[in-house]
Amino acid sequence: MEILKQIAECVEFGKINEKSPYPPNMKGRLGADELVKQALEEGVDADTILKKGLIVGMEIVGVKFRENKVFVPQVLMSAKAMTAGMTHLRPYFNSGEVQRKGKFILGTVEGDLHDIGKNLVGMMLEGNGYEVIDLGTDVKSGQFIEALEANPGSLVGLSALLTTTMRNMEKIVAEIKKMNPEQKVFVGGAPVSQEYCDKINADFYSPDPQGVIERANMLMGA
Amino acid sequence: MNSKELVKKAFKIEEVHRIPWVPFVGCHAGKLLGLTATEYLQSKENIIKGIDKAIKLYRADGIPVVFDLQIEAEAMGCKLNWVDDNPPAVISHPLAEGKELKDISIPDINDGRIKMVMETAAELRRQHPDIALYGLITGPFTLALHLLGTDIFMKLMMEPDYVHELMQFTTKVCQFMADEYIKTGVDVVAIVDPMTSQIDPGSFEEFVQPYANEVFESIRNQSVLSSFFVCGNAKQNIEAMCDCKPDNISIDENIPLDYVRDVSLAKGVSFGGNIQLTVSLLMGTEEECQRDALTCMDIGGKKGFLLAPGCDIPMDTPVKNMQAVAELVHDELRQGELRASEAVQKEVEPLDLTDHWQDDKVVVDVVTLNAKSCAACQYMLKAAEVACEPYGSKVICREYNILTQEGVRMMATLGVRNLPTLVIEGNKEFISHIPPINEIQAKIEEYMNKKGVR
Ligand code: B12
Repeated sequence: MEILKQIAECVEFGKINEKSPYPPNMKGRLGADELVKQALEEGVDADTILKKGLIVGMEIVGVKFRENKVFVPQVLMSAKAMTAGMTHLRPYFNSGEVQRKGKFILGTVEGDLHDIGKNLVGMMLEGNGYEVIDLGTDVKSGQFIEALEANPGSLVGLSALLTTTMRNMEKIVAEIKKMNPEQKVFVGGAPVSQEYCDKINADFYSPDPQGVIERANMLMGA
Repeated sequence: MNSKELVKKAFKIEEVHRIPWVPFVGCHAGKLLGLTATEYLQSKENIIKGIDKAIKLYRADGIPVVFDLQIEAEAMGCKLNWVDDNPPAVISHPLAEGKELKDISIPDINDGRIKMVMETAAELRRQHPDIALYGLITGPFTLALHLLGTDIFMKLMMEPDYVHELMQFTTKVCQFMADEYIKTGVDVVAIVDPMTSQIDPGSFEEFVQPYANEVFESIRNQSVLSSFFVCGNAKQNIEAMCDCKPDNISIDENIPLDYVRDVSLAKGVSFGGNIQLTVSLLMGTEEECQRDALTCMDIGGKKGFLLAPGCDIPMDTPVKNMQAVAELVHDELRQGELRASEAVQKEVEPLDLTDHWQDDKVVVDVVTLNAKSCAACQYMLKAAEVACEPYGSKVICREYNILTQEGVRMMATLGVRNLPTLVIEGNKEFISHIPPINEIQAKIEEYMNKKGVR
């Protein structure tokens, strides 16, 4: 369907709405905002718009980011376009007409204030059909555990950008596993590596959001 | 030639006899004094003591005065969160919290810690006239992020005019800081702009390059050297960074050094880097640090390269790891040994030695590093030549220098691990220390008798 392709393109290139000057070569064209609304009016169902439109665009962004073809500013614009489209779908999420793939709890660990990377991971997860519960930065183990208790069956991801706070990850992973040994924990952030992930007994590491999505999809059978 | 001259030569892409070493010691110097980062970065006396100690412990050729990218932001009203084991962090962004650009002014020498920093630089200059001192200033884009927060990324796309206005302003702040540092007598002014690692080349060219260019030009007009540091993976922007016309760029461990070398030298810009901060310096062994540093030195070469960590070293970096790098820099023999053992480990393709051995002759092979940097190698070679001479054509004596590919392969094929080594008929007879001539001759004669060489 042509309109779904257009929606995907808006997300891929970060075209929020008609007014937005970005990207320059799409000036004056309709953005994700208008197109999603239009699609709903034309009777396309919300689930299809999400999965065949918005998510398709975001998947391309994930791959391009991994390959260093786009950078933080472009991904943020794509995420904005995604959000603009999602606003119109929200009522359908709440009514259960659109199924999310699962819940993902995210936070930057205690002592660490870096959130650009964590936010990108969150946006990509959202863009790929997950409900993201973002606990923000400087998150202590107690907060992760509370969120996990309130949302059973969720996945959880810890982000750290400092070698000093990376050590707090170990503590948080241990506390989470103490609460629920089966809980799957993702870890990431620039200084983190697969080796470190194994060492602290976390379950998954990925250097980029795309890897998080691939793993999460496998775990959730999505 | 003193350290400062060495650094300057490397900046000017002239051949040096030894690669200069610039340990980026920031709050780690606090640790050297048993202080927290906060105690260290707020005191002129402590910084002077700490840097002095680092220069001596790490035999630095150049060193930054202070590595703290929050100094300007603090002076302009951003709140800082001070911690024990890291530089402080900016936690408030005035432009995102109601202030407008016109409400913020270029700092004055008396704002925040600026005066303290400049006095520190001036005092270090007096105490260390022969060391290259680097004055570090927060780059215009990173400063813009401090003032505005991460909204800046969206604004690049949505409100480019506003971003330009902001960049013009932060550039003036850079100019001010550069001028103040230059007054203290530093040798290099470095613009440190890690945030630019997060943007694409198009945005870099539009929003960073013209401004960085302006600052570098002003530094150049004052006959001071300049450098552009970007921590983080900024591979996409290396070319554009060089086009800003600094004298030098210094880059992070994420970027392949050979790539940086090829791009920067082609543009007439010297380069530095990129020992790994975490894997090597913080968590590695001394040998791992040396191997990492050696790899950098071998790629970097002796023209236009300065050895440095990828960025500010972690506070807890073990002293012995930094000292191991310092030792390597000053000890060419150690460099040769490491290179050689690496070659052995890498299983380089062995040489086919069938024609090397001869039925009617004794073969003596001396494996060396170049004679200039390894005095022992020179003596070993001389001793071997003198010892062999009386036997004329019955003994073949050859040198294998491991600076050549053939030398490395020979070393691996013979299983030699130390330099110099004297090998007779494939057996490592004398290792590292130089034997008296008659001992060598006694060995040679032993082989002659065995083989029946007359
Ligand atoms: C931006 C930045 C800041 C900003 C943060 C703004 C913000 N809102 O986030 C500010 C200026 C505030 C800041 C402050 C500090 N910073 Co800072 N900062 C950076 C910088 C330039 C970029 C980091 C970044 O955002 N990268 C971009 C994102 C997209 O990458 P990412 O975070 O790695 O995320 C990706 C992956 O790692 C992964 N990922 C991320 N999270 C997760 C989670 C999971 C579960 C998974 C699977 C994957 C995943 O996916 C992401 C997308 O691909 C880096 C240097 C650099 N150029 O890398 C330094 C850097 C991280 N900072 C550093 C330091 C030291 C600090 C300070 C202590 C002092 C300072 N300013 O220098 C303070 C500390 C504040 C604190 N307590 O946290 C050091 C850390 C050194 C170390 N290894 O310990 C760095 C490396 C710079 C350096 N070399 O000195 N910083």
